[in-house]
Amino acid sequence: MALLKREEWQGFVRDVDWSYSYVDDEAVFPEWHSGTGKVPREAWQSWEESYKVSYPEYVATQREKESAAYAVKAALQRSSAFDSLSEGWKSATKMHFGGVALVEYAAVLAELKMARFGLNGSWRNMATFGALDELRHAAITTFFGHEFVGKDAQYDWTQKAFHTNDWVAISLRNLFDAMMTSSNVVDIAIELPLTFETGFTNLQFVALAADALASGDVNFANMISSIQTDEARHSQQGGPTLEILVEHDPVRAQWVVDKAFWGSARAFAALTGPAMDYYTPLEHRKQSYREFMEEWIIDQFVHTLEQYGLKKPWYWDEYMRGLDIWHHGLHMGLWFWRPTLWWKPMAAVSPDERAWLVEKYPNWEKVYGDKWDVIIDNVNANHMEATLPETLPWLCSTCHLPACNATQSRDGTWRVRDIPLSYDGRTYHFCTKACRQIFWKDRDNVNHETLIDRFLAGQIQPMDVGGILGYMGLTPDVMGDDPDYEAWTKDYAGRSADGIATAAQA
Amino acid sequence: MSAAQDLGAEDRAPELVPLNAIFATDFVQILVPVTTANTMAEVAAAVAHHVEGKRVRALPYDKVVIYQGERLPAEMTVAAAGIKPLDHVTVEYDIPERS
Repeated sequence: MALLKREEWQGFVRDVDWSYSYVDDEAVFPEWHSGTGKVPREAWQSWEESYKVSYPEYVATQREKESAAYAVKAALQRSSAFDSLSEGWKSATKMHFGGVALVEYAAVLAELKMARFGLNGSWRNMATFGALDELRHAAITTFFGHEFVGKDAQYDWTQKAFHTNDWVAISLRNLFDAMMTSSNVVDIAIELPLTFETGFTNLQFVALAADALASGDVNFANMISSIQTDEARHSQQGGPTLEILVEHDPVRAQWVVDKAFWGSARAFAALTGPAMDYYTPLEHRKQSYREFMEEWIIDQFVHTLEQYGLKKPWYWDEYMRGLDIWHHGLHMGLWFWRPTLWWKPMAAVSPDERAWLVEKYPNWEKVYGDKWDVIIDNVNANHMEATLPETLPWLCSTCHLPACNATQSRDGTWRVRDIPLSYDGRTYHFCTKACRQIFWKDRDNVNHETLIDRFLAGQIQPMDVGGILGYMGLTPDVMGDDPDYEAWTKDYAGRSADGIATAAQA
Repeated sequence: MSAAQDLGAEDRAPELVPLNAIFATDFVQILVPVTTANTMAEVAAAVAHHVEGKRVRALPYDKVVIYQGERLPAEMTVAAAGIKPLDHVTVEYDIPERS
């Protein structure tokens, strides 16, 4: 018997739908999961992915990828490569493992939801492959991070971070629960594969693999490249979904894209920003975080918006200004509250590093240099307690990151300003105007309490630094600390240091 | 009836008032707990404690609390100023204008 040609069977196996005789469509695709909204049900019949794959093809390719990734890992396990990695790079990997491993698992749930409630057979088919991809990513990330637990207890947070109430984990859970687990599938397809994966992580993973190789971490590059090769396939669920939504409900399409881009951009500023501009050793930095964002993320995002007939988000000017500010403030916050981290943040503000920062960010000294100088003077005076926190930073009620975004006044000075909202009998504070706007539009869905909310509600006991660290799951063997104070303070030793805490308190 | 709730805030036992605060040119908003009985001088000192000489270089000037755009007198209490839990205050150095 002759085999059917590919074009004769592929349409049938990838796009199976049928008419229901026992239940109606709403019972099978309920609105709260499927989210068709104003889009007529039949409009989804035109949903089509551009790159098609069959299950045998999928399995054969994935098997090869898995074998290759684990073979490289096995070979490297016998080498001493890990021991020669810089602490800065190790911190970037710890942050990645803890911040990403279980987000990959959340993505399994998102893909499974689309595999069940997607409004077209081929979409559900593609989402099934997507779920298998994400399961592999969750497994490989957890496994690769686990290897180092014996060498450094902070790697234990690969698996642990998302199960704790650490403020970084809360912030990421808040973002990804909204994006992946509580959304309907139309919103998921636009928020996750289109905005977050196509817009952010696919390109970041390429850059991260290059950084890993530059830093001598072949194993990490191997893992990240293996993951990245899956993304192009399942991330194509976003395009066809957005195309149909734009045609029938452009206002909703714009809002979903805008919100997902903003949330992703805030998380990126917190994690990728410090890793690129501070943790990566100076000699390995190829471009600044701002340059990376402009070249790889922003240009492509604007192109995507134009391609689908959407506008730039309402917050565009605020966002672009933030490229010079957000991640520098967040870096200082991560460093000052370093006992709350599962990695070792390097301040990385030696004269050479500051010269690089000023070259890339001309206002850097004006906005941040004075604060780092006070910290440096306290380190050099061996007054370490003045460099450690005794209270919490205020966490934004939308992104759950510290409210630390300075803006420039007309007179040229830079200040952090309060961005409040009175709603339902209480006052909320935000890091940016766009976070306030997103909270207001989504106010009926907001159910995450920030660490500040939890603290003030008495959920954290005792109400002191020790109680907070315990609540966040930090133990002394894991708590973050700067790996090398001398590296960035020694060039300033011996200078006059008026107005530091010792003098002020005397 | 003279139940506690009938008394003005300034006559009741001190109550906790957690504030959102920014000190001068600091880079971040912080949580600072004060009480209704604290004076503005005490509020300014409580906010400064976390920042002055630690991230913002100490200056030899008095400090002033700014609430809803108004500079509040140093002796005024939190209760008298009507500052409520979760409100925002800014603390600035009171630098004399150059003549």
